[in-house]
Amino acid sequence: MTTALRSSHRPSRPPGHGPGAALAETLRDRGRRRLFRQDALTVLAWASGAAAVALYLADGGAAQFHSLSPALTAIGVVAGLIGTDLVLAMLLLAARITLIDRAIGHDRAMAVHGKLGKPALYLILAHMVFLLLGYGVADGLNPIAEGVSMWVNLPDMWLAFISIVLFLAVVVTSLVAVRRRFPYEFWYVVHLLTYAAVLTALPHQFSVGGLFADGQWQRWYWIAFYVLVLAALLRYRIWAPLALTFRHQLTVRRVVPAGDGAVNVELTGLRLEELAGSGGRFFIWRFLAPGLWWHHHPFSLSADPAAGRLRITVRNLGKGSASLMAVKPGTKVSVSGPYGLFGHAARTRPGLVLVGSGIGITPLRAILERAEFSPGHATVILRASTPGTLYLRDEIAELCRLRGATLYELVGHRARSGNAWLPRHQSGLGLTDYVGDLVDSDLYVCGPTAWAESVLADAKASGLSGEQLHRERFDW
Amino acid sequence: MRARAAAAAALASVGILAAGWQAGTHVVEAASVTTGAAGTTGASGTTGASGASGTGASGSGPGTSGSTSGSAGSSSGSQGSASSGALKNGTFTGAAEETRFGEVQVQIVVAGGKVTDVKALHLTDAERRSAMISATAAPILRSEVLQAQSANVDTVSGATVTSGAYLTSLQAALDAARA
Repeated sequence: MTTALRSSHRPSRPPGHGPGAALAETLRDRGRRRLFRQDALTVLAWASGAAAVALYLADGGAAQFHSLSPALTAIGVVAGLIGTDLVLAMLLLAARITLIDRAIGHDRAMAVHGKLGKPALYLILAHMVFLLLGYGVADGLNPIAEGVSMWVNLPDMWLAFISIVLFLAVVVTSLVAVRRRFPYEFWYVVHLLTYAAVLTALPHQFSVGGLFADGQWQRWYWIAFYVLVLAALLRYRIWAPLALTFRHQLTVRRVVPAGDGAVNVELTGLRLEELAGSGGRFFIWRFLAPGLWWHHHPFSLSADPAAGRLRITVRNLGKGSASLMAVKPGTKVSVSGPYGLFGHAARTRPGLVLVGSGIGITPLRAILERAEFSPGHATVILRASTPGTLYLRDEIAELCRLRGATLYELVGHRARSGNAWLPRHQSGLGLTDYVGDLVDSDLYVCGPTAWAESVLADAKASGLSGEQLHRERFDW
Repeated sequence: MRARAAAAAALASVGILAAGWQAGTHVVEAASVTTGAAGTTGASGTTGASGASGTGASGSGPGTSGSTSGSAGSSSGSQGSASSGALKNGTFTGAAEETRFGEVQVQIVVAGGKVTDVKALHLTDAERRSAMISATAAPILRSEVLQAQSANVDTVSGATVTSGAYLTSLQAALDAARA
């Protein structure tokens, strides 16, 4: 295994003033604004949870704890309120809303979305259990008899019981252990049931509960929340992709091999220059061919669009990607985006370090093409186990030469000691050995999860703060 | 979560919860005033005939109603057997009782000195569940009352508040019929 260590132009670092300093300031301001948006969203999320409880308190909920039955009922109602608030927040996080994407990035939004799943389900289950217990105590019935009585006697309760089964199915199929056993398609279809679960849960909230009964002001808050979520989904999940797809009219031009098990998919279309400058941010693609159209794929452009052409690089990672390799020229393509924070907008420091492994190299190329940096202030580290999987290697080497970035190619099996992201014969080294001004740089990492974690751990150990670390995930 | 975000989120949440709590205490105070009035009189049956209005055949009855402020059975009249015999024919409406689940008001029909029907003019219905409870409890109370010919019957379990208000209103109607 060889290590090609090609240090192309590496001019001496300019001093702290001049164009570099101005860039540093711009980036710092940009970073500060983004952090402010992040914090604002965090506050908003917590406040919405508090507001859900406050709705109940404002209705005299705090006085319900004088005896067993009303206390159980009150716990059940509050659990349902917070649980529903979480479900609506999860829908907003998954809605690909520009504001959220710009603040925390699609991958982190989806990570939070995933983390909220189980708590939301537990709260909704608690809602059912405590209300059955509370009402059961009041009616002198056991919880199961109470459930039957509610199903029979109350309007919309049968829908609510169906809803809880759907929620259970959605969360259980999303557990990592369960999700791995089934094909992606199965998980996807079950996940779509979320919408059915949300809709079937809706009627009983307004017809059975007293809190949202006709004439209560709380009813309007709750309706407004639902309308907001619905509007966001329509705007960003349905309208945005349709509009972008019709605007650009993308068609597959050809599919050409690009190294071991990877292909470049070239697309033609209209007004492609508008898609330029996404700089590593990803788009969501659907290839409108039989059997393919309902799969969506997150890929970044692997080259800036030029001369009416777009390019993405796809590797045979799963069944979905595999079928893409056989996609026929002339296939229409739907597109939405760009999404993610893996681009210029997330920069906070003048220095730039791009670290990619395997197919994770491809988004780095697009960043490198457009990123702002002074010559000598960018480093590109490509990692692969064999030279054949150093995708786009030649193009990246050429870009590094043109723009004055330092390129390292690290090929070989992974190290057993020290930094696991490095090849074995480089073990003992770390990021600081490759990048001089590391602490004054933004680090972009893209590659397999465990490998990327190792790079990030190295970076944190070298003194980089969270805002300097940018990571593209493939696993959501 | 960053410290600034955590602090701001905590502050906002506590503020919102406190505002909700504050708004809630007003609601509870307002409610406890009305339920307090209705609730204490429920079980024991020591109701004054204050709100009752007789709309039956002999409107305002023979003047000597005496002290009806006592308990149900001992109306001060001197007509032999205690309760049922004293009833006048007609339709009598009990007082409306406020509960936190809504208003309860019943009407009785007396024929031949006996209560022949109890109609619920209004039952607890503040929420659907209350309405459901009312719907279950009302027929049971009605049949018990028709059998016992008094308001001195068991409350329906799981519908304590509704039963209490129902029987209080009924007692007032009986008192009116006896007046």
